[in-house]
Amino acid sequence: METPHYVAARVQRVLAEDDRTTELGIRVDVRGEHVFLRGQVPSEKRRRVIEEVAREATPGLRVHNEITLVEVREPGEEEHL
Amino acid sequence: MTDLRIAAVADIHLGSDLSGQYRKRLEDIEHRADVLLVGGDLTRHGTATEGRIVADELHGLPIPVIAVLGNHDYHSDADRKIVQTLRDAGITVLDDDAMTITVNGVRLGIAGGKGFGGGFAGKCASEFGEPETKAFVRHTREIADRWRRAMKDLDADRTIVLSHYSPVKETLMGEPPEIYPFLGSYLLAEAADAEGADLFIHGHAHAGMEQGVTPGGVRVRNVALPVIKHAYAVYCLDGEGQ
Ligand SMILES: [Fe+2]
Ligand SMILES: [Fe+2]
Repeated sequence: METPHYVAARVQRVLAEDDRTTELGIRVDVRGEHVFLRGQVPSEKRRRVIEEVAREATPGLRVHNEITLVEVREPGEEEHL
Repeated sequence: MTDLRIAAVADIHLGSDLSGQYRKRLEDIEHRADVLLVGGDLTRHGTATEGRIVADELHGLPIPVIAVLGNHDYHSDADRKIVQTLRDAGITVLDDDAMTITVNGVRLGIAGGKGFGGGFAGKCASEFGEPETKAFVRHTREIADRWRRAMKDLDADRTIVLSHYSPVKETLMGEPPEIYPFLGSYLLAEAADAEGADLFIHGHAHAGMEQGVTPGGVRVRNVALPVIKHAYAVYCLDGEGQ
């Protein structure tokens, strides 16, 4: 079996390099049979595609998608420098 | 005393799934800010099509828009095409050069470009060893040299450096320290400190922090969208130059 550490590194690389995702900001942790995806993305579609790409890269493992959606809020208070 | 209101954002990473959505958040920006700075990673894959989406999203605003590219915008080797598309849409794209605009009678100089990595003083790569290492470090040094020249030629009351990569470590806090050398370089801070700047805007570090300062005292702001969590941040500078 591939060492969890290397599985995580590989998934992280696939997420960065796969044209469907090109996502550098997702944390991947592997514990036993479980793959955890964490981070923030701006759309539900991106969230789903990341999960799909991670699943393809880890056949036989269980992928847990803990990625949250960030909503771009209205501009807030200004800062005086 | 006239205030300059600087709106800034980076890492908008627009793609077809977000088309039209960011634009909605820019409504009324002219009441909140005098200029909008966009610090790179405009796209996800750096394709010409995404460049078009960015241009549609940012074009025709009532205030000047000044942008630089980020590493994502280089991914598909369409960076020149993207720059041209943005310029055709009336957006100023800085590419290791500078420009001045006059806002409320104050001459605001903006210098910069994409920037690059290499790390921070004491913990950085140097131009030594394999050609690949030398090329990596040389790229950053040449960029910093071009910024210095561009800033020297500026005739402005206030100066802002706009970059994608970070000049300091402070604004990277939250990112794994192992990747700091890929997130920025102290050479960028050194250029800003040597020529004098009032503010250094960057992005790239999605998990970093908003506030930092260069060794020479220039205020640094990481405006990556996941950091500021708003459509843009607004910084006010008073218009009296140093
Ligand atoms: Fe980014
Ligand atoms: Fe970036």
